[in-house]
Amino acid sequence: MNLLALIPLAPLAGAVLIAVFRRAPAMLALLSVSAGLAASVGLLVLVEGGAAARLSLPGLPTMPLRLSGEPLQALLSLVVAGVAFFVVLYAIGYLRAEPRRSRFFFLLCFFIAAMQTLVLAADWLLLLAAWELIGLSSYLLIGFWYLRPGVASAASRAFLYTRSADIGLYLAAFVLILASGSSEIATSLQTDGSAATFAGLLLLLAAMGKSAQTPFHDWLQRAMAGPTPVSALLHSATLVAAGAILLIRSAALLPAEILLLVALVGGVTTVVTGLIALGESDLKRLLAESTSSQYGLMLIAVGAGAPQAAVLHLIAHAAIKSALFLAAGVFQHSRESTRLKDLQGVGRERAATYAGFTLAALALAGIPPLSGYFSKDAVIAATLASPHPGLFGVLALAGTLLTGAYVARALRILWRGEPRRRQVGGQVWMGAGLAGLVVCAVTLKLFFPAIESLLESVPAQSPLASILGLAAAVSGLLLGGLIGGERLLGPLRPWAQQGFAIAGGVMTWVVRPALAVAHGCQRLDDRLYLAVLGVGRSGLRLGQVTRCGDENIIDRLIFSLAHASRVGGVRLRGLHNGLVHHELALTAAGGVVILGVLVALDRWIGFGVTA
Amino acid sequence: MQEMAHDLALMWPEIVVLLTAVVTLVCEMLRCARAGFVSLLAGLMLASVLSVPLLGLETAVFDGTYRINALSVWAKLVLLPATLLAALLVRSELANSPREGTVYSLLCFSTFGALILAGSGDTMLLALGLLMSGLASFALVAWSRDSRATEAAMKFFIYASVCGAVMIFGLSYWYGVTGTTLLADLDGLQQAPYAAAFGLVGVLVGLGYKASLVPFHFWAPDAYEGAPVSIAAYLSVVPKIGALFALAQVVIDLPDDSGWQGMLALVAAVTMTVAYLAALVQENVVRMLAYSSVAQAGYFLLAIVSLATSTLALPALVVFAAAYSAMNLGAFAVVAQTGVSRKDLFGLGRRRVVAGLAMTLFLFSLTGIPPLAGFAAKFLLFAAAIEAGYGWLAIIGIVNSVLSLAVYLRIIAPMYRSCVVSDNLQGRAAASPAATIVWLTGLIATLFIGVMAQGILQQLRY
Repeated sequence: MNLLALIPLAPLAGAVLIAVFRRAPAMLALLSVSAGLAASVGLLVLVEGGAAARLSLPGLPTMPLRLSGEPLQALLSLVVAGVAFFVVLYAIGYLRAEPRRSRFFFLLCFFIAAMQTLVLAADWLLLLAAWELIGLSSYLLIGFWYLRPGVASAASRAFLYTRSADIGLYLAAFVLILASGSSEIATSLQTDGSAATFAGLLLLLAAMGKSAQTPFHDWLQRAMAGPTPVSALLHSATLVAAGAILLIRSAALLPAEILLLVALVGGVTTVVTGLIALGESDLKRLLAESTSSQYGLMLIAVGAGAPQAAVLHLIAHAAIKSALFLAAGVFQHSRESTRLKDLQGVGRERAATYAGFTLAALALAGIPPLSGYFSKDAVIAATLASPHPGLFGVLALAGTLLTGAYVARALRILWRGEPRRRQVGGQVWMGAGLAGLVVCAVTLKLFFPAIESLLESVPAQSPLASILGLAAAVSGLLLGGLIGGERLLGPLRPWAQQGFAIAGGVMTWVVRPALAVAHGCQRLDDRLYLAVLGVGRSGLRLGQVTRCGDENIIDRLIFSLAHASRVGGVRLRGLHNGLVHHELALTAAGGVVILGVLVALDRWIGFGVTA
Repeated sequence: MQEMAHDLALMWPEIVVLLTAVVTLVCEMLRCARAGFVSLLAGLMLASVLSVPLLGLETAVFDGTYRINALSVWAKLVLLPATLLAALLVRSELANSPREGTVYSLLCFSTFGALILAGSGDTMLLALGLLMSGLASFALVAWSRDSRATEAAMKFFIYASVCGAVMIFGLSYWYGVTGTTLLADLDGLQQAPYAAAFGLVGVLVGLGYKASLVPFHFWAPDAYEGAPVSIAAYLSVVPKIGALFALAQVVIDLPDDSGWQGMLALVAAVTMTVAYLAALVQENVVRMLAYSSVAQAGYFLLAIVSLATSTLALPALVVFAAAYSAMNLGAFAVVAQTGVSRKDLFGLGRRRVVAGLAMTLFLFSLTGIPPLAGFAAKFLLFAAAIEAGYGWLAIIGIVNSVLSLAVYLRIIAPMYRSCVVSDNLQGRAAASPAATIVWLTGLIATLFIGVMAQGILQQLRY
């Protein structure tokens, strides 16, 4: 299936061309991403027509590397390609003055290729590889401005967080392959029993890391140190979605107790990160916390047994959150900062951007008729239809309420204050990208029926859910807009601003013990080193002693032997004085000695040496 | 009569050598040295070729008095080519001098004597071979007719006479005990151990002087120095190997536990050590090589000592004989081209690279450094000695190899030192292509035996 291969290969080719030519990186990236988008659209059309898309590449002996184009995969691929297209469009303007543009666009194209591979992967090995590659590109892109303070450590932190959670995916893949005997995802998902439970637990761990769920949510906030297009594409719409996508795809595998756990993780995350967002002092970080919160909602939907609702919210959120980030990027260029304190009043000077931001924000909050309302509605309806409607419903509604509150807070801060005029270049590109995504965010609702028919599932409908959801969203907006986030938090505020760190958070629970272990290892290593050194030293000492012995004893022995040899030689020459009778006498004497020896040795004669 | 013809047919190589001796003598009478030289070469080649079919025979002719066995046939295959090379060396040194032809004739007679020794199955043949080889050798040593050569020959003659007399005296005891002269009947010696021991010492004196074992070696350095270099080369190889093979023929038949092995081992140890110590202080290269050849005779004894108990001993003896012939003749050939004093060899490695390299390799091979012939042969010798239970002797041999390195390095080191050299040496070197052929052949044989030692070993274990 050539179309299937084209989707990841087009951005990859773009990356290679950028790396080789280092000319016009933006145009090359746009071209390759457009080609990828066209391929994704083509694939979706084909899949909707009922065609099965599969591609098998030679891999390990019994485990070929497979790509497949299931409806869900085709849909997600289109989401990735679409967001990527608009973000690249935007990035052309955003990075106009950046001298290392080619590096940026190379990495971005490389990431898109890896992400598409992840989405389209049909077996665990390819998925693992793609999973690692997006982690790598995330690390490199967060650290794009690595010379700025804090950026390098943010990149490392993101990498370490996701990397440690990735162990779950590795183990899960091994468990599933061992249990089912197949590396193909669809086949291995038919596993059940304890293997399924175990694998589900491990998959949840991996998803929690990638989707920045509590307690792994910290890395995503720090990842905002990267360029804003990266935040829009990787850290809202795609890379972070990988965790949710993993759980959505493996939803069939998960037993009830794991589903409960998934929903609980999502619920805790959506509340905790929503609270953190209320107290946040940085716009991009606020959006990042919102991202964690929204993925928490998706996990609730998965846990409630309605992955299709999660898919809808994922798609809507991808467009909405990307649009919000792109708008935030425009504000950032205006004020050279993303701190809310510096951004006060920026909405007045960038009215069009602020309008787009507001539309997207309201969509996020879940105000009809914007897309977010319908997707969130589906999630809440799914929670009410689930085995634990009370628990899941309350968590989901709390998340919705908090969403409204922090969105209103952000809107309020951005509008209030004094406008400042400042000329910013690249407006056209940035505006085009932003406009495209805002349009998507607003109009996505029109495609929901088509998506539902494509996924062959109709999410639960309930008027109660609609009313409750709308009420929560509106009350959240009112609370946030009228009272303000800080006051709303009350006594929780200092804690929320620390990211709800329990007794020092990661520093206490992970970093210090790890460092202590590392120091212990270092001390042990030092001891070992000293021991090895001691062995070496004693060897040297032994060598010196031996050398002394050599010089004083053996050398002397040899020299004296040589001297004795020469003296002996001279003496022997003295015997050869040329007088034949003298020599004959010696010969005769020698003969007599030999006779004596022979007689002595002869056993017949009696005193020989017995053998 | 038929038996006689059969026996004679097995002795064709010896007969050819004898006839060649006669022909070369006739050529000398006709004052045609060149023809003598050519007929000598032809005769030796023919005899060598005729020896090849005898390989593998284990028999004796003329009522068991002359043996056709591995020892005697391999002796022919080693000694005849060695004589040929020596003859080439003689030609290069003595060509167009008066009495050149007599040398060829004498070489033939002496080689015939050596062959008789190596094949003797009878005590009388021992005496005959010793005399035959010895008489020709005296004349060869005396060839120069100057006072030095005459003195050397005289000394050699007196020495040979005394030692030969002692041997015959000793052999008479054996005859008295056993009532036969056949070596095959030496088992009877057990009846009279003292007489047996006295006879054995007599044999050792006679063959030991010929093989120049310590303490019967005194004649050798003087004789080698007095004789032309080519004759010294010949004496250091052919009669010596003949006598040693004769000793081997004797000990095959000696009763096993009569102590002769211990005695021979002692002689071997003394020979190696004393000769190398003496060689260490020589200034004359020929004298040095003379002592070296005395010491090498000690190594031969390693094989003879183990002959009764080790299967490796016979191959070791033959391989060492071949290797020793090649490297010793080669070394003498280089010396014949350059000069007999140590000073003459100064800078040889720089003046004539190939000759210098060849000399270095010969001396290294005499030391026993791999992968040369001397190493392979000495390896076999030590293995045989250890297998026969004479580990201490092998150790003495190895220690003496170290000592020998000092001896030979005294020649090699100056060869690669730059120094002013008189020009006349170069003229002399260029004038003797035959000697070059000799050392080249020796070099090839040294390398070949060294590399092919394994193959030779297989060949010997037919």
